[in-house]
Amino acid sequence: MATLRLECLRKSYGRVSALNGVDLEVHDGEFFALLGPSAAGKTTTLRAIAGLETLDGGRVLLDGEDLTEVPVRRRNMAMVFQSFALYPHLSTANNLAYPLREAGLPRREIAKRVQETAELLRITHTLKRKPASLSGGEQQRLAIGRAIIRQPRLFLLDEPLTNLDAKLRHAMRAEFKRLHRELKATMIFATPDQLEALSMGQRVGILRDGRIVQIGTADELYLGPRDNFVAQLVGDPPMNLIPATLRRDRNGARLELPFAAIDTARLPSSVEAFQPGTEFLLGIRPHDLRLVGDDRRGIAFEAEIRLAEPQGDITILDLHAGGADLRLVVAEIEGARRTPGETISLAFEPARTRLFMKDSGLALG
Amino acid sequence: MPGSSPGHEDRKNTDRAEGRLAMRFRRKREIGRAGLRRSLVATIISLIYFFPVLWIILTAFKTHNDALAVPPIFLFEPTLENFVSVFSRAYSKGAEAIDTGFALFFFNSIFTAGTSVLLALIIGTVAAYGFSRYPLKGNETYMFIILTTRMLPPIIVIIPIFLMFRVTGFSGTYHGLILLYAAFNLPFTIWMMKSFFDELPREVEDAARMDGSSEWHVFFRICLPQVKAGIAATAVFGLILTWNEFLFSLLLSGVNTRTVPVAMAQTIGGDIGVRWGLLAAIETLFLIPVVLVTFLLQNQFLRGVTFGTIKR
Repeated sequence: MATLRLECLRKSYGRVSALNGVDLEVHDGEFFALLGPSAAGKTTTLRAIAGLETLDGGRVLLDGEDLTEVPVRRRNMAMVFQSFALYPHLSTANNLAYPLREAGLPRREIAKRVQETAELLRITHTLKRKPASLSGGEQQRLAIGRAIIRQPRLFLLDEPLTNLDAKLRHAMRAEFKRLHRELKATMIFATPDQLEALSMGQRVGILRDGRIVQIGTADELYLGPRDNFVAQLVGDPPMNLIPATLRRDRNGARLELPFAAIDTARLPSSVEAFQPGTEFLLGIRPHDLRLVGDDRRGIAFEAEIRLAEPQGDITILDLHAGGADLRLVVAEIEGARRTPGETISLAFEPARTRLFMKDSGLALG
Repeated sequence: MPGSSPGHEDRKNTDRAEGRLAMRFRRKREIGRAGLRRSLVATIISLIYFFPVLWIILTAFKTHNDALAVPPIFLFEPTLENFVSVFSRAYSKGAEAIDTGFALFFFNSIFTAGTSVLLALIIGTVAAYGFSRYPLKGNETYMFIILTTRMLPPIIVIIPIFLMFRVTGFSGTYHGLILLYAAFNLPFTIWMMKSFFDELPREVEDAARMDGSSEWHVFFRICLPQVKAGIAATAVFGLILTWNEFLFSLLLSGVNTRTVPVAMAQTIGGDIGVRWGLLAAIETLFLIPVVLVTFLLQNQFLRGVTFGTIKR
């Protein structure tokens, strides 16, 4: 299929810059997820790849071929839009047939492919109906059908699950993975939802303010976020970031947290090069905090429960400890026993934390 | 779909169908209560509005004496003599009936109105698409300038236009009238069509481009079919406006290109005074094409005029 390379894409709308030099390489046959908050430039990036936006700078290369000046219709890419963008005046069958008609395929071939695609996506019963009379899920599948009916070199999926209800969304995630396996196509999937990105993308690229901040697999991003932005974007609930200051005295060097102090030797990365008084952010995943009973390994401290958010199988506890806010994930049974206002004992393993510079937000090590 | 039970979708569909059914029943009941009074009021108001039209249609079937009867009579023996006289009649008592030329005038009205509206629609739709999709620097100014051409009362420009028609040899010709009417229809055609194009979602056009459409196909296969209702609404407005036009037709049409409104004005008079029955017959005939077109385009038209006012 195709390898896509983006070189320093730039685009601004008037004074607002949407893309500030996006560099990216997507491998052949890869399911790549673009993750970022709204207005990070996900849609603009996809539209730039498709050629729907004229760039202020940069190049789009597909298999080494420079597509920057190639008109949209000759790029042979397919896109599933967030709004689905179905042709409202055409029936399901004609929506599916449209790209094939534009490609000038013979009638019989078109009819055959429409039937096959409709069967694959289970929308044969809607073939004669117009998009307005289809349910959300059917519209969604029709939009996908219109993209896969021809064999494009690249699939661009712009938040295709955002407009669906939660239940359908879950089913469609699996559907997309299945489609990717069957089509063996290169797919780029934009989403603001970290769960979607991590669960679907073989690799995930994180966009912030029109720039790629980090690219990696789900594990790489979860365990080794490059900065505090990625750390808070990936993982749910987001990583706890606790202000910390480096101190040195006769007893040695330690990192002071509002509620505890950690011997620098126990930290995952070396802070020897820094002056005392340097400010950091210590990242602790909510899952890495644990309630302590007899087991007092790691760094232990006390915290007050502010709020309990039951989620069914787990409960998220919002905590307050020595002026810092934290979140903790506990099993539902455990959470049900806790009430706001109560003080609990917690501990964490310093080796499982991650240290960020307070000023730049960049991670150490 | 893996993950959801097969019955799930069906259940959802029946739920929805039941919902619809319940809604229809509720609606019916509402009409039963408050609707009756509202319908009654609506009927009375439309009767008041429709009365003059009804009066004219009745008069068209009356003899000259019945038409002049005071107090007016509503029960009479209908006659078709007025309709016959529209096309052929004697101009003085005892003379032989001759062709009045009204067949030609009706043709002229239909031909000039139809062609000019069509012409305005073709040019206007393309122009509106251009203004909507490829805005120029100062787009709003251009749109405003186009509108200003309709701000002047037409009578102010009648002298220059009359002179221009004399010099160019356009006076008395079909193409002269058609071009003039097309020019009159163009501004509101552009304005109306632009607003219809503005309403269309852009992503649908982008989708077409992704699917391999050229810009021409985007226009013809994607945008144009979506504004069908708008085209119908604009056409009806244009037809009615052009159909009724009197002033320019009076000055610029020739003997052979005369339209019905002018010809009708010229039948007033004659040795037996104003022939109300005859005028009413012309008017009745004059009504038919407009009513016909409006009814034919009714569905499209209604969607067109309510475009954007209801959320789809």
